[in-house]
Amino acid sequence: MNSWNPEAVEAALASQGIRLAPGRAAKIAAALNASAGLADPLLGSLAFETDPTAYALALSRCSAK
Amino acid sequence: MSVAADFSVEACRERIARWQPRINAFNRLENTPLGGGAGPLAGVPLAHKDMFYRAGQVSNCGSKIRRGWVASETSTALERLDAAGALQIGTLNMAEFAYGPTGHNEHWGDCCNPWNPDYITGGSSSGSGAAVAARLVFGALGSDTGGSVRIPAAACGVTGLNTTWGRVSRAGAMPLSHSLDTVGPLAGSAEDCARILQVIAGFDPKDLVSSREPVDDYLSALADKGLRVSISTSWIERNAEAEVASAVLAAARALRSAGTTLVEVEPPEFDQLSAHCITVMQSEASAQHAPWMRERPGDYSAAVRARLEAGFAVPAAAYLEALRLRGAWLERFCSRTLSDADLYLLPAMNVRVPTREQTGARGGAGMPKLLAEVSRLTRWVNYLGVPALVLPCGFDSNGLPIGLQLVARPFAEATLLRAGHGLQRATDWHRRVPPG
Repeated sequence: MNSWNPEAVEAALASQGIRLAPGRAAKIAAALNASAGLADPLLGSLAFETDPTAYALALSRCSAK
Repeated sequence: MSVAADFSVEACRERIARWQPRINAFNRLENTPLGGGAGPLAGVPLAHKDMFYRAGQVSNCGSKIRRGWVASETSTALERLDAAGALQIGTLNMAEFAYGPTGHNEHWGDCCNPWNPDYITGGSSSGSGAAVAARLVFGALGSDTGGSVRIPAAACGVTGLNTTWGRVSRAGAMPLSHSLDTVGPLAGSAEDCARILQVIAGFDPKDLVSSREPVDDYLSALADKGLRVSISTSWIERNAEAEVASAVLAAARALRSAGTTLVEVEPPEFDQLSAHCITVMQSEASAQHAPWMRERPGDYSAAVRARLEAGFAVPAAAYLEALRLRGAWLERFCSRTLSDADLYLLPAMNVRVPTREQTGARGGAGMPKLLAEVSRLTRWVNYLGVPALVLPCGFDSNGLPIGLQLVARPFAEATLLRAGHGLQRATDWHRRVPPG
């Protein structure tokens, strides 16, 4: 499903105050569409409670010490 | 340590005068070296990527936007090197805002590979790789967010260490992506990287992600033996260019001959992890640069502006999902790829070092794919936040170096350096110096 098009990208960035260089919107839309359908294989087993700080705990658990 | 006459400040200056017109590694050479004094690195001449701040000194960050900007603080890494007696003899060229994997720079001029100036140095620590390769300095600091220490180390034929996220303070170093940024040394050997790491590693209250994990004695650990290294031989044979695969697998055999046990494993999900790295990097870098992207987008190079534009289109949910998954992927890497091994061995790059033309604005239709290949095997490491060492393991038919990469568990820098030192005792690739 191609949900992004150049006009949508242009509008989304303009709303953040970003002026795109010529021709860039189409490239960004294509990249977003290419990655949109890719599901991470670990996502299904990730606990609902997991947040980004879980990484710090994993770093400590996996440490070589 | 005693510094060999080869690395006296005078000898370095003489070589810089000879090499600089060809490779453009330095942005600035100090009339009087900065730092110095007593300590384990007393009198050792270093130079650093132009993004490590020093109070009262200019840090251009490889950019037009920060050209002439004077820092008001000194980075913790430089303070520690100063306290160890090291001399800073200059600042080194780099990719604009550390946001590029090749060494191109339209504001300060491309940094060129000392083995052949038509070829890339790799980036973003381009000057660090080139200066160490040409033996213009004993060692250099670089930063690594997606491969920026390791790609230049591989392309220039030197040893480069990407440290565990939080092992070396980033305080006073230009940020690119705070979840991924690391600081690490490039030098002529694993042993020399160990000397520099020993000084800069350790907790720093000025960097909130700085780790309190104890710092190992990296030099003493070099002598230990008996490592187990995992490898995905058939993946390397299928995915790396033949000359790269041949050199990397020969190095693996050399490690085995030196007493290392090799263990075959399935490769990690490089492309999945790389995609998460890009999501995080683009989001954070674009947020960091948002004010300048609104006010003066024309002052970025076209390539860096394009990378920054892309980050503003990343959905917030995708960014946070990548960060939520990070811990799970790290545990998977350690429990699968390293379940029966201390380290994982792979090429630093699947491809041979490309030319500056192939990877520049006039690179043609194949350029984006080639550019992606350059960092395909380094970005996943930053997403996991684990340490990795790159060291030379041969030369391709163009005469450019080939790099081997070893990846370890968090805070296992000592194990990496030990393996690298073992390989460098059995081979002499790290002693090769570009002619001239």
